[in-house]
Amino acid sequence: MTTAVTLRGLRKSFGTLETIAGIDLDIEAGTFVSVIGPSGCGKSTLLRVVAGLEPASAGEALVYGEPATSARKHKQVAIVPQHPGLLPWRTVRANASLLLDINQKANRSTTTDPVELLERVGLTKFLDAHPHELSGGMQQRVALVRALALGAPLLAMDEPLAALDEITRSEMRLLINQLVQGRGVTTIFVTHSITEAVALSDRVLVTSPRPARIIADIHIGLTRPRPDDVEDEPRFFDLCNQVRHALHEGAHS
Amino acid sequence: MKGTRFIAPVVGLVIFFAAWEAFVRAFDIRPFVLEAPSRIVHYLLRFPNDYFRAALITMKHAVLGFAVAICIAIFLGAAMAASTFLEQATQPILTLIAVTPFAAYIGSVKIGLGAFSDKPVVFIVALVSLPAFAFAAVDGMRGADPSSRELLASVDASAWEVLWHLRLPSALPSLFTAAKYNTGLALIVAYLAEKGTGGLGEIGTRAFANNQGDRLWATIFAMAILGTISLVLLNLLQRAAMGWHASQRSQHS
Ligand SMILES: Nc1ncnc2c1ncn2[C@@H]1O[C@H](COP(=O)(O)OP(=O)(O)OP(=O)(O)O)[C@@H](O)[C@H]1O
Ligand SMILES: [Mg+2]
Repeated sequence: MTTAVTLRGLRKSFGTLETIAGIDLDIEAGTFVSVIGPSGCGKSTLLRVVAGLEPASAGEALVYGEPATSARKHKQVAIVPQHPGLLPWRTVRANASLLLDINQKANRSTTTDPVELLERVGLTKFLDAHPHELSGGMQQRVALVRALALGAPLLAMDEPLAALDEITRSEMRLLINQLVQGRGVTTIFVTHSITEAVALSDRVLVTSPRPARIIADIHIGLTRPRPDDVEDEPRFFDLCNQVRHALHEGAHS
Repeated sequence: MKGTRFIAPVVGLVIFFAAWEAFVRAFDIRPFVLEAPSRIVHYLLRFPNDYFRAALITMKHAVLGFAVAICIAIFLGAAMAASTFLEQATQPILTLIAVTPFAAYIGSVKIGLGAFSDKPVVFIVALVSLPAFAFAAVDGMRGADPSSRELLASVDASAWEVLWHLRLPSALPSLFTAAKYNTGLALIVAYLAEKGTGGLGEIGTRAFANNQGDRLWATIFAMAILGTISLVLLNLLQRAAMGWHASQRSQHS
């Protein structure tokens, strides 16, 4: 088994503000891992360190065996930010290929045609539209396609569904499951939603209030590929409760 | 209402020129002080080619000066947006350029760069329009969406790629605003500095010196038309380059 992400004694402080307090973690390649924890505890910071966007203060972060900062240079990590961050002057098609257009010499051989992905997420009619013509959910689908098209082995998503309404969110959960499953990519998914975490993940990591530590590591044994009605299964409720209790204990310990 | 959008400005202008005409006739104003619009048009139509050729030369000075200033402003703006030190070091220089009356040094520049050449005119147009362009470039580039910057950083975009794909398009709205502000300024500079180059400024300053009222007012009219055409062209260019921007969308309310 390949390890996609290795964190060893990872610490991160901004000046005197300690945000990550020593995290040790191995993420197996091809798995979907959610990180859930109280607001402001350092989840985004953790993701940014793994994506090589922020240096660790102590310890190390490895992505497929190489330091996160050099993995970034090799386009090993594709990020999906909370706000889609589409460039308003680019069409949907051009936005979807943005990450491929940048730093082209580092492109991988495993890239996927963005147009094909856009068709899969139901945006065939909007290839030449500009972002302002799309709904929030459609914009977030473009952001998802933009990351997937890169063909990077690690996806880092920071609350990508947080800004969407409840109905769109549940649609997006199904979509993410369909798109990411079977692609062999590893995903780190930061979220505030217990349902989202359980529905999507193989593993849910619960973090403490700042400075972030991992206080629970919950294995989600639901079958793969996930059926569309996975959220109706009794086990789903049990798992959600398990995550909720872990969060609750973390907040009051 | 759609209809009045085109009719109202025409009505306004007709009233303005009619009042002007009536004023000149009623008070029998000397042509040198104020010429009647009917006579100005009559004079312009007597020498259409002369004025057209001179207007082209003036336009050339303004366009070349703008081009030089915008190129410098983009690189200066990118450097200033990247380095606070550079910004603080450059700011007083740009402010000095902006507050020093260019009319005072036109003579010196013309002697330095060749009295009958286009160079001093283009130089002064570029110099005088540089501050507004540079400040606009810095502002626009600084304002580039932070999450888009992070997205580009996540695939190790080079400084050039960030400039081309993000900072420059982000600066377009403020650059166009600066261009509109600078248009009048550039035409004034061209007019005052054009002696010896065959531009409208040359005709105008000569007519003034020789006490030729009709010639002077025909030149003033030609300058006004040139300025109007410049603004219309600038608006069309903006619509073409910035169709994605909220300011360029038609309002259906
Ligand atoms: N670049 C930075 N400089 C200084 N402080 C920072 C920086 N980035 C984050 N912080 C601080 O680190 C702490 C953790 O921030 P982070 O964004 O990682 O939290 P989070 O868990 O993602 O929160 P949320 O769930 O609200 O998104 C916050 O107190 C924040 O103010
Ligand atoms: Mg966050």
